[in-house]
Amino acid sequence: MTNCIEISGLCKSYGDFALKNINLTLPGGSILGLIGENGAGKTTTIKCILNLIRRDAGEISLLGHDNVREEQLAKADIGFVLDECFFSDNLRPRDVGKILAPAYKSWDADLFRSYLDKFGLPEKKLVKEFSRGMKMKLSLSAALAHHPKLLILDEATAGLDPVVRDEILDEFLGFISDGDHAILMSSHITSDLEKVADYIAYIHRGEVVLSGAKDAILDSYGRVGCTAAQLETIDRADLLRTRKGAFGCEALVTDRAAFARKYPMLLVERTTLEDIMLFVGKGEAK
Amino acid sequence: MIGLIMKDILVMRKLLKSYLLLIVIYIILAYLDFFDYSFIITFVQIILAVMPISAFAYDEQSKWDRYAMSLPLGRSKVVGARYLFVLALTLFTVAMGLAGTALLYLAHQVDPLEMFVTLMVSTAIGLLLPTILLPLSYKLGAERARPYLYAIVFIPVIAFVLLVKAEIIDFSALNRLNGLSPTAILGGSTLLPLAGLAGLAVSYLISCRVAAGKEY
Repeated sequence: MTNCIEISGLCKSYGDFALKNINLTLPGGSILGLIGENGAGKTTTIKCILNLIRRDAGEISLLGHDNVREEQLAKADIGFVLDECFFSDNLRPRDVGKILAPAYKSWDADLFRSYLDKFGLPEKKLVKEFSRGMKMKLSLSAALAHHPKLLILDEATAGLDPVVRDEILDEFLGFISDGDHAILMSSHITSDLEKVADYIAYIHRGEVVLSGAKDAILDSYGRVGCTAAQLETIDRADLLRTRKGAFGCEALVTDRAAFARKYPMLLVERTTLEDIMLFVGKGEAK
Repeated sequence: MIGLIMKDILVMRKLLKSYLLLIVIYIILAYLDFFDYSFIITFVQIILAVMPISAFAYDEQSKWDRYAMSLPLGRSKVVGARYLFVLALTLFTVAMGLAGTALLYLAHQVDPLEMFVTLMVSTAIGLLLPTILLPLSYKLGAERARPYLYAIVFIPVIAFVLLVKAEIIDFSALNRLNGLSPTAILGGSTLLPLAGLAGLAVSYLISCRVAAGKEY
């Protein structure tokens, strides 16, 4: 199976912030969810992928093409939705079709119209009259209308209500169903990624601190709830991160089953991506 | 590239329509002897100066550059589209100017050579403004480039007036132009917009360099 995205050794420094040695792979037929706090480096990574900023080091290959040396080839089969709608308020959805059609050899005007219909977007209405959800649906219609093989989404579902988000997530699942297509999706809404992502990469302060198959992470990682006294009895090597609160302590463990066998008196539960983010973002190292 | 040129036209269609309407009204008023033809020419220059900056302002408002640079076009084509938009605008305004010239010649038997020369000079000046402003807009953005527009327009005018008042500029030299044949004047004036085009080509290369080094 071809990898749709291969990133190796990506570095980009801004002085006060740096992406450090990012390595990511996105196989065809899957969704990679990029999670991380604000300013962790998700958007910087996506900007490097789209060659909007110059990388200091590393290689990025999109659908087998280098994203800088073969930029036009690399981007020809990519659809992207960034964190906002870039279409001027004075434009109408049908104008967007006219603008983008010459940019893509494989632009499908009928498909674009069918997405507009599907998402209930009036062709002749001005963008300035659209809600945020409608603008995102317009961006998504524009991103899908040239039959891309890879979708790159940066906070595409942020600020949308659960119904619209669910509708868009269904569209994503339909998109990757043929096995060749893939999606890189950065999002703060970890519950969305738990629904649709196959792989998760967690970027924290410019570094990938966790990367792997989502199911494997969620099946393996666990959250331990205990008292401060109980926490002291646990071997530090068995803990990844800890959090101490007024009413008790919590710890993140990487192997839930092994932990439960070793400490049968302690309750260890399944964890969520949000828990993992909170442990890494706010917790203490073991 | 065609799509990006179309984008500029579609985003500014209301503005373009209102300018077109004003040009038509001015031509009619000039035809009815309410206005001098040179007024239309000045208006055409203003359009050529303002529209590219407006295009950048609209782009900044919607952060279009980030989207455009993500398309499979390459930075030079995105920049090229803006220059082609300026050229399309120039062609349009020249066509309107020529139509006005023809109309006034047919109606009032006004000297077409004088009007043609005025049109060519104004087109050359009209091309000079984006030649300087487009690289500045790529470098600084529309808002920070706007003061330069006023500087480019007003500093030479003020300098010219001061030089005339100080009697440094001698207008008698212009009388020598009267001795030139109409063909020479016609040829010479046609060269002016061509020089403007050459300047625009150099400006394009500078803008490409600026855009290539920029992060979006």
